[in-house]
Amino acid sequence: MLELELKVNGERYAVRAEPRKLLSDVLREDCRLTGTHVGCEHGVCGACTVLVDGRPSRACLIYAVQMQGHDVTTIEAVAKDGELSPLQQALHEAHGLQCGFCTAGIVMTFEAYLKENPHPTEEEVREVLSGNLCRCTGYHNIVRAILRASGATA
Amino acid sequence: MQRHKFRHIGAPLARKEDLRFLTGHGRYVEDIEIPGALHACFVRSPHPHARIKSIKTEAARKLKGVVAIYTGKDLAQWTAPLRMAPPIEGLLPVEMTTLPIDKVRFHGDPVACVIAQSRYLAEDAAERVEVDYEPLPAVANLAQAVSENSPKVDESLPSNVLSVQRFSTGEVEKQKREAFKVVECEFHQSRLTHLPIETRGLVAVWDEGRQHLTVHIGNQVPHPLRSQVAARMRLSESQVTIVSPDVGGGFGQKIALYREELAVCAAARELKRPVRWREDRMENLMAASHAREDSCRTRAAVTKEGKLLGLELEILEDFGAYCFYPANYLARVVAMIFTGPYKVRDYAFEVKVALTNKCGNGPMRAPMAITSWLAEGTMDAIARELELDPLEVRRANMVETRELPYSMPTGEVIADITPRETLEAAVKAMDHKGFRERQAKAREEGRYPGIGFCSVVESTTYGSKFYKSAGIPGSGHEAAWLRIEPSGAVNASVGLGATGQGYETAFAQVVADGLGVDPSQVRIQMGNTEVAPYGMGSRGARGGTAGGTAIFLAARDANEKVLAIAAKMLGFDSAEGLHLVDGRVEREILGERVKTDITLAQIARTAYLDPTALPAGMAPGLDFSRTYDPPPMTYSNACHACEVEVDAETGALKIIRYVVAEDCGQVLNPIVVEGQQHGAIAMGLSGALLEHMCYDEDGNNITGSLADYLVATSTDLPNFEVIPMHTPSRGNPVGTKGMAEGGVMGAVGVIMSAVNDALAPFGVVADRQPLSPAYLRSLLRGRQL
Amino acid sequence: MKPAPFRYHRPESLGDALALLSENPDAKVIAGGQSLGPMMNMRLVTPAELIDLNAIAGMDAISESGNFVEIGALACHHAVASSSLVKTRCPLLAEAAGTIGHYAIRMRGTLGGSLAHADPAAQLPLVASTLGAEIVVAGKRGARRIAARDFFVSLMTTALSPDEIIVAVRFPKVAPGERHAYVQFSRRSGDFAIVAVACVLFDKKLRIGIGGAEDKPLVFDDFRSIDPVSLAKSVRDAVNPAENPRVPAVFRKELVEVLTRRAVQKCLSSS
Repeated sequence: MLELELKVNGERYAVRAEPRKLLSDVLREDCRLTGTHVGCEHGVCGACTVLVDGRPSRACLIYAVQMQGHDVTTIEAVAKDGELSPLQQALHEAHGLQCGFCTAGIVMTFEAYLKENPHPTEEEVREVLSGNLCRCTGYHNIVRAILRASGATA
Repeated sequence: MQRHKFRHIGAPLARKEDLRFLTGHGRYVEDIEIPGALHACFVRSPHPHARIKSIKTEAARKLKGVVAIYTGKDLAQWTAPLRMAPPIEGLLPVEMTTLPIDKVRFHGDPVACVIAQSRYLAEDAAERVEVDYEPLPAVANLAQAVSENSPKVDESLPSNVLSVQRFSTGEVEKQKREAFKVVECEFHQSRLTHLPIETRGLVAVWDEGRQHLTVHIGNQVPHPLRSQVAARMRLSESQVTIVSPDVGGGFGQKIALYREELAVCAAARELKRPVRWREDRMENLMAASHAREDSCRTRAAVTKEGKLLGLELEILEDFGAYCFYPANYLARVVAMIFTGPYKVRDYAFEVKVALTNKCGNGPMRAPMAITSWLAEGTMDAIARELELDPLEVRRANMVETRELPYSMPTGEVIADITPRETLEAAVKAMDHKGFRERQAKAREEGRYPGIGFCSVVESTTYGSKFYKSAGIPGSGHEAAWLRIEPSGAVNASVGLGATGQGYETAFAQVVADGLGVDPSQVRIQMGNTEVAPYGMGSRGARGGTAGGTAIFLAARDANEKVLAIAAKMLGFDSAEGLHLVDGRVEREILGERVKTDITLAQIARTAYLDPTALPAGMAPGLDFSRTYDPPPMTYSNACHACEVEVDAETGALKIIRYVVAEDCGQVLNPIVVEGQQHGAIAMGLSGALLEHMCYDEDGNNITGSLADYLVATSTDLPNFEVIPMHTPSRGNPVGTKGMAEGGVMGAVGVIMSAVNDALAPFGVVADRQPLSPAYLRSLLRGRQL
Repeated sequence: MKPAPFRYHRPESLGDALALLSENPDAKVIAGGQSLGPMMNMRLVTPAELIDLNAIAGMDAISESGNFVEIGALACHHAVASSSLVKTRCPLLAEAAGTIGHYAIRMRGTLGGSLAHADPAAQLPLVASTLGAEIVVAGKRGARRIAARDFFVSLMTTALSPDEIIVAVRFPKVAPGERHAYVQFSRRSGDFAIVAVACVLFDKKLRIGIGGAEDKPLVFDDFRSIDPVSLAKSVRDAVNPAENPRVPAVFRKELVEVLTRRAVQKCLSSS
């Protein structure tokens, strides 16, 4: 067991964990931030995507021990003071989520991507979104929502 | 039935559920914190078929943090086996223990359950459980399953053929003899799995003092599940609570009580400690539940003009190794509704279901998914062989509105559907004529576009009468309650299990109209058997119509009582001319609506806190319960159209355009309905293009990861153009029809129709899924123009 | 799907990392973890020690070095694909790196990791082989450069010694007038290619790299003519894919031919 100090959503967490404990599990079990969901644990489905120093990363392919000295951001930090981000708002309005399980990963991916590319084409959105599996929506409304949000985050 | 005009039903309200999901505050099973909970992990068979000679657990038990290891023998003491023996002609009874004791039947079959302090430790221990297997020859495919000298998957049966049903009406043989031609086609649908992004999982909590088991579990049918858990745990239904919180997708995978789940319940009771299990993705792919894998053959006796004289259908389905459902149940529905919108009197079917050494099958969104492909593929084949226009063949055989209600040869009655209208709407939207011109030009350039059409008649909201006539045990009714609290707050519940359908929003709209309040005032409480009434849960596109109607009827009852109280408060003899609108009583005076001072809150206060002020003989409180048994079947319909392009050199397939004209009656919330249409089409296309649960020749599963089991991503799917149509059903008071499975049926069929149109110049026909580039190349190889 | 236990090391210098590696024969080196992570979660790989290179400063630099662009092993695919230096000096590399996996994967997956993993269908081994890159490796006995074509030995096997670490990769800069094309065929966006073709045309000479066809990238450069059709046929005849129940060898050969032809045509028509 190691004593770890993690910085998540701007707050410090002291955590006792084995080196092998995945960041996804530490966030959920030790930091009690259960908004990050685990869908495949082999880096394919994208549900567990969080930001590491602002960059989207699969939390299931990172050991929490590696995150010392880094800033981790999870879905819980996206809405500010109860106000949805433009991307979250657009997902709500365009019905871009159904069961909601994959949603956090999609929000985290595109919160970062829209900063890098504020006005993507539909093709670019679909390419980036291809790293997040959704079994409910067929992606149509997610794509619409992201394009809608890209206007707002400009 | 009485018809209503709606203010809220049919409004495009953004979903109430979204806020918690968007901000990371949903509550899925794994998010529920239970102090002291232990973690389970299953030891699984590496063999497709083997005798279990011994299981040694000593080394595993010695590991730190390991609490217990249970085998099939242990669990058999504490749980009852599952006996699947419904009185269905042609179906043999089968039985299974909670975990296998003598032999494993598929690659991934669970043989022991390890309980430890954490999942990490449980997995460490699972690796150290030593199982001595004696491998047996496996039944790896349908051909082996039905061959004479095949090994037997279930040794209690005479062969691997578990179920055979035959049906015949009219004179099919005579029609075949006398027909201009008999057109025969084959269809092979691959083995799929549901792949909810949230895998299965549960936390079982045993209360020793109350002798009560609480099971937090992602599930679509909380009450039937509770009955199952109680029966198999040898408890009474009063001793079991099912709490189904937010669920990350179900698609049919979260209906049955699975063996792992029961094992965890038994372990929690035995250990008197909470035990949790979250299936990992490899387990989910290999061992949760599979679906489909049908080989079908149709024979159509036709006139020279392509009119159907008689039809035959043969289905052979690979059901896997275990039966969590009656084995005939899925394929039988296909055979019953096969003829869809097409008119034919003489029809015969044979449905055979066989066991193999694979993960057991279950219903997956649109268990009858192959139906429309069978019918439309047959239409396309007739057109091909008779050199007719495929659309004309469809038109020549399609039922006309004036012929409705129309009795299918199996006795299924279709009514209130519009197949001709949806077909023509799709044809128009696709500019069929213009496409043919573009196609001819493209072919000259060595490009191969194709267009396809697929009409769907979707069976939904199976009522009790359907179950009875199909010989399937079960009921199609649903239950709801509605309670107006002393403050005027409105709570309502229904016995469904939400997995993303937006019930909290759509049913708030239903209550709003039924009662006369704003949807924002209504809270739908679901997913807890202590709260929800005993309903049959979410499956078979029944939520909106069975659940929605039950809750609407409860709201109408509430409206009646509320207005009766209002009348008394206003000093009237009767409630005639009174209405509740947005929580306030209005009065009709000379055809005008006039607001009164009376609000729902005042009425509620009276009902609870001043019952002596109620009309004479009226009971206090505002509590309403209803059950509703829908008609045997409620049909909705659609026509899917799709343009594709095949790269003949690589076998790559691209969807250029996708249109669906769908008539699902009165909708509760068009946003939610459209989302369901998209999702259903996506699941259909994903299966048709990519998904394939693959076993090798020896029966080993070679698709144990998401790098092997491919599902559609955002770059594989097109935008969906939906043409909505709304012919209300006359079978229920709201006018709704079920939907959300038809999209799968249409997608599975239309893609084949379009691809075969594209391949036509090569003289080849695709008859199996998935439409992988390797498969398309195998058809085209040596066929280059 | 939880990894087996391991001891974790986070050296802050290459020297420390190399020392740890040579002291612990049962150690694995981790950079981005996008290939190793899944294998460890599935317990297909269970190292006793894990040596994390991420704390070693400067090992992700991208810089010019004479006729080469030198890229640190820890540079992630996204950095490689979006670097203006790489885009202008090694456009084939930038293009191919931008097609690796998905956005989040490209944020963590590294150049060195991809080469060390040596998946025969991966983009970077193919591009490194086709461009004639040099792989700079360090070991306890010092540093050495290995030509990419010698580096990839067979399926997930490289010329790297157990005590060596990839430090950087030197890609030759594009020559004036040099043209290139990268074409891959995969089932879905982000999947490993079934076949990938990298093509370089310079001074009427073609070099063609084929990924996915055999157990390592193949490079062909001795062509009599640059006629795309005949050349593609000759490449097809030269590859020997293994049979696979889901991807028949004949299909892979067909793809090699079609993709080679298309890549060459793209090269010839680009300006």
